[in-house]
Amino acid sequence: MDVSNILASHAAKYQSVTVEKETPLEVDPGLLLVTDLNPIEEETYNENLEEHLQSLARDGVQALMASLFKLPTKQSPDGPLAVLPPPVFQLPRAKPLPKPKPPTKWEKFAAAKGIQHKVREKKVWDEEKQDWVNRWGRNGKNREVEDQWIHEVPANADVDYDPRKVARDERKGRIAKNEKRHQQNLARAANPRQQRKEEIEKTLAVTRTSTASMGKFDKRLDGEKKLRGVKRKFDPTETPIEHENKASLNLLAKMESDSKKMMRKPNTEESDLNVRKAVSFASKGRGGVALGRSLSRGGRGRGGGRGGKGRR
Amino acid sequence: MRPLTEDESKAVFTKLANYIGKNLVHLIDRPDESYCFRLQKDRVYYVSESSMRLGISVARPNLVSLGTCFGKFSKSGKFKLHITALDYVAQYAKYKIWIKPNGEMPFLYGNHVVKAHLGRITEDTPEHQGVVVFSMNDIPLGFGVTARSTVDTRKLDPTAIIVFHQADVGEYLRDEDTLF
Repeated sequence: MDVSNILASHAAKYQSVTVEKETPLEVDPGLLLVTDLNPIEEETYNENLEEHLQSLARDGVQALMASLFKLPTKQSPDGPLAVLPPPVFQLPRAKPLPKPKPPTKWEKFAAAKGIQHKVREKKVWDEEKQDWVNRWGRNGKNREVEDQWIHEVPANADVDYDPRKVARDERKGRIAKNEKRHQQNLARAANPRQQRKEEIEKTLAVTRTSTASMGKFDKRLDGEKKLRGVKRKFDPTETPIEHENKASLNLLAKMESDSKKMMRKPNTEESDLNVRKAVSFASKGRGGVALGRSLSRGGRGRGGGRGGKGRR
Repeated sequence: MRPLTEDESKAVFTKLANYIGKNLVHLIDRPDESYCFRLQKDRVYYVSESSMRLGISVARPNLVSLGTCFGKFSKSGKFKLHITALDYVAQYAKYKIWIKPNGEMPFLYGNHVVKAHLGRITEDTPEHQGVVVFSMNDIPLGFGVTARSTVDTRKLDPTAIIVFHQADVGEYLRDEDTLF
């Protein structure tokens, strides 16, 4: 029996599953990517474009499928899954690299002198507390001197020398100095031309809305762009209601705690003395803090004289 | 139609809390059906979830009203409570005031409540507190803000104002075209 006829007709119906090309196709199963590096055959391209493209695509997909079936598989409830290898092809970055920040004055100096940057840890060891504490910030180590219960006073100190205040002023001074340096660094880094441009744009935006009609009926100039304001973003209308209710209840709780913070604690002790009234009387309405300060200073407070400025 | 932003919710809640205090939680967390606040053209509506979902399919310019209108935001961002919110406000009101039958009509024409018309008032109402005004047979007529605390009202003369008018049910007729 001669089956070559049947085989030939079968072969004509189904194309071969192996793709033969002059330059073999590059397959990257990790990205499900096939690259065909062969030059385009001009003849078939001009003859029938659709058919040519279809055959090209078919070959590519065939190669990809063949590579997928060679991969190791993993069993899952939906059937076997192929485990993709890590991708080989390097995809280009979507956004440009961020520009490096302009160096600060210290960074320039450090680079010139070859000083290495040392990372200072936020926590430092406290011998007394036997614990790690913040270097700065909440309960920071830098406030240690201010908070200690006993202070050394120099022998030649003034009568009103307050070591606590001196330490605090020193710390605040350091903060102010650093902030000043920060501002100077920003000013140094800023491009004056760019700055001027932004300034002009801002002024222009203000002037355009400074007519009686808020710029609605002004003549449009050539190449004038539409003013863009701040884009507001709202929650979607269709969120699960539970989320919304939860957010509302949270907001309510927050509002309540805020109002509680504003209110003074009521006098719970049973006594004839109304402390709040007494304090306001003794401090002449300036509050307990002012009273405490004036008492600790041991004399009349700032506004104690009640004279000078203001109507009588 | 959109949900309120945090600032807007704050404005609405503070205004409502002036009248119903902590009962505001019962408006948000309801056992029967979930309700929510929605803003549509500067009006704030209190809507059940199901009608809100139906309302989504209506385009914003075509949507006239939905649910219960609670009030509106003025152009400067302040929230003004409308008389349409009275049903809910009266239900949960913390401080109430009842006025005599001869004081009902003057109040319904938009006048303040004077002491002569005062029938009953909740004990220890503070000054400048939102109160709901009822007739003597417990029908809510509107709401206002107290001018004096309950203790201080005793010393006042009969013509003195004790509740500043904010909204009354007469507005259903007077402001029919702009109310909802």
